[in-house]
Amino acid sequence: MTHTTTQGTQAAGQTPCAIRHRESIIGTYRTEVAIAVAIALLALAVGSQVPQALSWGNFANVTQAGAPLIIMSLGVLLVVITGGIDLSVGSVFSLTGMVTAQAMAYGYGGVAASMFGLGVGLVFGSINGFLVTIAGLAPFVVTLITFAVAGSLAFIVTNGRSMPIPDPDFWLLNSGSLIPGLPNYILFCLVLLVAIEIFLKKMVAGRWFYAVGSSAAAAYLLGIPVKRTKFFAYVASSLLASFSGLLTISYILNAESTAGSSLMLQAIAAVVIGGASLLGGTGTAVGAVLGALMITVIQNGVNLIGINSFWQGSVTGLAILIAVVIDRFSKSRRGAG
Amino acid sequence: MSNAQQFVLSVKGLTKSYGATSVLKGVDFSVARGEVHALLGGNGAGKSTLIRVITGSATKGEGEIIFRDPAGAARTEAEGRRKVAVVHQELALLPHLTVAENIALPHFRKGFAPFSRKGALRHAHEALSMIDRDFASASVHRLVGDLSLHEGQMVEIARALSSGADLLLLDEPTANLTAAETERLFSVLRRLTRNAGLSVVFVSHRMREIREIADVCTIIRDGRTVVDRVPTASLSDAAIVEKMGQLAAFHSAEHAPLARARVSGEGLTVREDGNELEFAPGTIVGIAGAPVGPQALIDALVGAARSKRWTVSRAKWPTRFSSPREAARLGAGFVTGDRSQKGILHSLPILDNVLASRRVVRGSLFAGASERIECLDLLQALKVKADSIWDLPHTLSGGTQQKLLVARWLGVPSDLLVLEEPTRGVDIGTKKEIYQLIRQMASTGTIIVWWSTENVELLEVCDRVIAFDTEGRCSGLIEHGDLSEDRLSELTGLAA
Repeated sequence: MTHTTTQGTQAAGQTPCAIRHRESIIGTYRTEVAIAVAIALLALAVGSQVPQALSWGNFANVTQAGAPLIIMSLGVLLVVITGGIDLSVGSVFSLTGMVTAQAMAYGYGGVAASMFGLGVGLVFGSINGFLVTIAGLAPFVVTLITFAVAGSLAFIVTNGRSMPIPDPDFWLLNSGSLIPGLPNYILFCLVLLVAIEIFLKKMVAGRWFYAVGSSAAAAYLLGIPVKRTKFFAYVASSLLASFSGLLTISYILNAESTAGSSLMLQAIAAVVIGGASLLGGTGTAVGAVLGALMITVIQNGVNLIGINSFWQGSVTGLAILIAVVIDRFSKSRRGAG
Repeated sequence: MSNAQQFVLSVKGLTKSYGATSVLKGVDFSVARGEVHALLGGNGAGKSTLIRVITGSATKGEGEIIFRDPAGAARTEAEGRRKVAVVHQELALLPHLTVAENIALPHFRKGFAPFSRKGALRHAHEALSMIDRDFASASVHRLVGDLSLHEGQMVEIARALSSGADLLLLDEPTANLTAAETERLFSVLRRLTRNAGLSVVFVSHRMREIREIADVCTIIRDGRTVVDRVPTASLSDAAIVEKMGQLAAFHSAEHAPLARARVSGEGLTVREDGNELEFAPGTIVGIAGAPVGPQALIDALVGAARSKRWTVSRAKWPTRFSSPREAARLGAGFVTGDRSQKGILHSLPILDNVLASRRVVRGSLFAGASERIECLDLLQALKVKADSIWDLPHTLSGGTQQKLLVARWLGVPSDLLVLEEPTRGVDIGTKKEIYQLIRQMASTGTIIVWWSTENVELLEVCDRVIAFDTEGRCSGLIEHGDLSEDRLSELTGLAA
């Protein structure tokens, strides 16, 4: 944390900006580097028990299985940075899948049906954003409501039955390659990661996210559009949850009402492992993605080693604990990216 | 102001009420281009509310607010407000962002535009350099959450100074500054008003500062303007105090003699390597100097942080308190100087705010009816104007909130009471009341430790003063007879 400034002569009018303004990558992403190392160690540990864990095939498996969680975590991160929470992402994920599959059953093509699916995200994100900003309700309560409503609607759409995906080309969304040689699920993760990280760090609106989470009252007094920023965060979060829902049904070619029920807590966990504070004001996209990867690697490892999968939650909990404790003691206070 | 008083801001007949209580009952207030204008009034007179209404963070009742551009043409309210910068009494800072971002971020009006870190740094550095070059270089990268209250205040002022506004509204900007910083701030304000035509509205309770910086003053009292744009030099201190409605307090307590009987009881000794300070029972010991030194001592006395430097020695007391709770239960009380962040419990009613310390000291299990009576008595003793003890603290003015903090320890039998700037942001009348109350507590044998950056205040209330230099070292102990402003500024290294 030694941001040394070159002491230079400081006669008036001289360029005062001999101050270093570029931070080193390691310095900026200290938590993230630590998680990356932890993931590598975890993978090696699993690999020492089950050698095929380190194969290319398993790597592809892990990323493909983890992609929806990664994308959902990026959305939750945006809300968490502003000091809010989004509990509705898992339900929105499920409902998106059901609506999309049902739309296809009604004869819509893959693209049109996907638009219906994303519409679910747009609608629920707007409801969340509206209730939090205009109505001024607590984010936890608001998203608890939409979590319950979207979750129940996911059953209502098909009366609880799971729906196979009728469109024969729909798998291309997940496993096709818009860029030859790079499967789409990796492409989407990368594009979203880079776009959101640049947005948060290099765009004024991105800094507003941190400002609002740091102190909404102060941000308001400074003329920062607090409500607009929060609204945008909830819409983005739901849209990303919807998109990860589409990606999942395109992968397993089947939509289920309960598909997303475990994802919400995992996404919040990923964001926390990635160094964000649930009190707002901190967190990075790189951290959230690594957090999601870590959870996926743990699940994969538990499966490969053959531990009863009921242990997954305990292992994940332990990982969160370790990550948070390390973060707590590695520095007194973490800045906003 | 030769060309017929060109006003940047004119407020006429402004009213504002919160629920049934009307705070502003018809305020006239106008600010000319290039002047420093003192806005004066007692606690709860409506100064902060007026500022809030001008900036639009509170809606107005009746009346009009007119902003004018340099050419004299009226601006719309929204447009006018964009050219107004405010330093709030309660700091508006973003703790997770850096100093540079805190200063520069408000300048980026458009969201979907690149945020230039380099530009932000340069901007912040220039702004901070206006007040303190060394601080600017050392701190632009730091997180605001890691700054002290007084550093935060500098950031906030730098932000306002660099905002490109025509009109600065400074609500007690010097409350957390040292004398030297205040001096630098004043020279910047003088330069900007003279050369750049900036107008400044300056709220302060420190008469000397008002005399030094303000050309004209407006006094409001009980929500009405009682003195409208009068040259500050034409009013005597007594006249100003009288107009504020606090003449009685001004006279009765002025230079109250230190006629107190010697009190028996056990004293207190604090040590660091090579230093030993003794506090006799019933004395009021002042602490002077820049925050570094006093902070460490105060932390040790109240258990606020594990001080590695100071140890306390007194029968039945540990050498180091493990927590403020332990300190409080053993009879060491504390009134924090950071009212907003560490003092007031914002979501709890006045009742709980006043009784907070008593409940800890007594180990109360239940919040009973007797507490309500006790609270009412305390509010009466402190002349707090409030509709109900169930109101939230934010319905009170800043000065009145300060009274609540002092009330927490009033009448609680304690051996030691540490006060950090207990009269910050408090008007003269209330100040004298607080002095009186603290003297009463001292006369019962309580040792009072009083940290203040206002040397005049230390001279008035303290029996002896411990001075710290700017490096945080203990630089001397002055007994009452030798106390003078010159001696204090010599030992603290701060300009008087």
